[in-house]
Amino acid sequence: MKIRLPLLLVLITGIFGVLTYVIPHSAIQNADNEFRNSALVIIGAFSLVLGVGSIIRHHIDKVQRKREHWEYSWVLLLSLLITAIIGLFGGIEGNGHLPTHIANFHFDIQTIFLRMDVPLGATMFSILAFFMSSAAYRSFKARSLEATLLLFAAFIVMFGSVPLSAYVSPKIPHFAEWILTVPNTAAKRGMGFGIALGGLATSLKIILGIERGWLGGTK
Amino acid sequence: MNFWEKLAKIDRRIIYLMLLLVVMIPIIVPFKLHPKPMPPVEHLFNAIDAIPSEKALVISVDYTPDTEPELHPMTYALLRHAFAEHKKVGILCISLLGLGLAQDALSTVSNEFNSVARTHADSIIYGRDYVFWGFQASPLVPILGMGENIANVFPVDYYGNQTDTLAMMKKIKNYNNVGILVSISASDTPFWYIYFAQTSFGVRIGVGSTAVQAADYYPYLNSGQVTGMMSGMKGAAEYEEMVAKKFGISGRRKATEAMSSQTAAHLWIMFTIVLGNIGYFALRRRKK
Repeated sequence: MKIRLPLLLVLITGIFGVLTYVIPHSAIQNADNEFRNSALVIIGAFSLVLGVGSIIRHHIDKVQRKREHWEYSWVLLLSLLITAIIGLFGGIEGNGHLPTHIANFHFDIQTIFLRMDVPLGATMFSILAFFMSSAAYRSFKARSLEATLLLFAAFIVMFGSVPLSAYVSPKIPHFAEWILTVPNTAAKRGMGFGIALGGLATSLKIILGIERGWLGGTK
Repeated sequence: MNFWEKLAKIDRRIIYLMLLLVVMIPIIVPFKLHPKPMPPVEHLFNAIDAIPSEKALVISVDYTPDTEPELHPMTYALLRHAFAEHKKVGILCISLLGLGLAQDALSTVSNEFNSVARTHADSIIYGRDYVFWGFQASPLVPILGMGENIANVFPVDYYGNQTDTLAMMKKIKNYNNVGILVSISASDTPFWYIYFAQTSFGVRIGVGSTAVQAADYYPYLNSGQVTGMMSGMKGAAEYEEMVAKKFGISGRRKATEAMSSQTAAHLWIMFTIVLGNIGYFALRRRKK
């Protein structure tokens, strides 16, 4: 039952999903609308609750067992609790029941997001630039004809992606644009067809119950 | 270790330090670079310019704080363009973290316009000129649902108002009333809009993407499924340039300001690649 019921649900919903695209009858379309606007929203909301529950459980367990870097789990749990309380009771921009400022010091959820979350996220992402520059220096070598062509294309696109290139020659950004529009599109379309056919085959295997990896490795 | 070996094996800390300097110096001592708009940005600008008064521009703020420096200027530029021409704007978020960013862009740009507005008609009014629909769980729900009825997908807006009671929503019912939908994202959200909203309902799609992702959208630009695109910070700077030229808006242009740093960083990376290759070839010749 544990296996058959999920397989049956996937079979029915999978076939129904395909039918909505080929049968324009109002009964099928109304059922699809209803399913999408109600069931999917409820499932989506539950997944949020499940996600928060899962992260809390994981970090409480980490603290209790004193696993490596368990101290940081406290930071996460406290941050989660504090921002949740401020967000739930303080309103979006400090217009809720909970006071979210002391004199000129504001700590409403929008301020916390813009002054802490945004700079922290941007800092993490910007670190990539350092790794990329080091990796480009070490590995971008003209070892073969293919590597030389790749290097040449990368140079043009990289230089064409900054305004200075247009000052050097107006043709450089257009050449970079041509590389992206023609050879890049040709390669991407080929890959796209392959990925689409692969996706179609895998989806059919999942709908028909041949591929069962999503059940958690049950044979 | 001789000179050529040193050239092929520069310590990574030196590369990091130099990159930090080439990014920092143009921020401290800025030099202005004005990008020339490329065709994908021009197409997007023209499509938004041509939105008739009875239709809306919809912006889907689908990025998160990590890509804020690259993508947030796009939202600013689009809002300035729309508000300068009093075009109706609807905003939604497929990503939860986009909510705070969308709210920031809306309040900043509407305040810019309202601070210089002389009459009520000149002002940018919530509910009349723009609506922030907010977030709806599961991407397919809003993307397909908006084709039938936007108010059904977002019964209440971000601020808790009944969506269908807002003045703008009397005319904006579904994708038939949308001039173009621009998805700004660092993930695959624009693909969802292309696959479902464009294919099923024929709505025009614009894309704002990070520079590394832009190559993925060119096949769709070529086929016409994507009307126009801003790629990376340069795309945002090009759009800012077009908006500034046409409307003379003097608000802060963050992408244009960052162009000097980005140019310096690109040149530095290209220089290190050249250095690495010189060292590689010199060592290979010596080995022979």
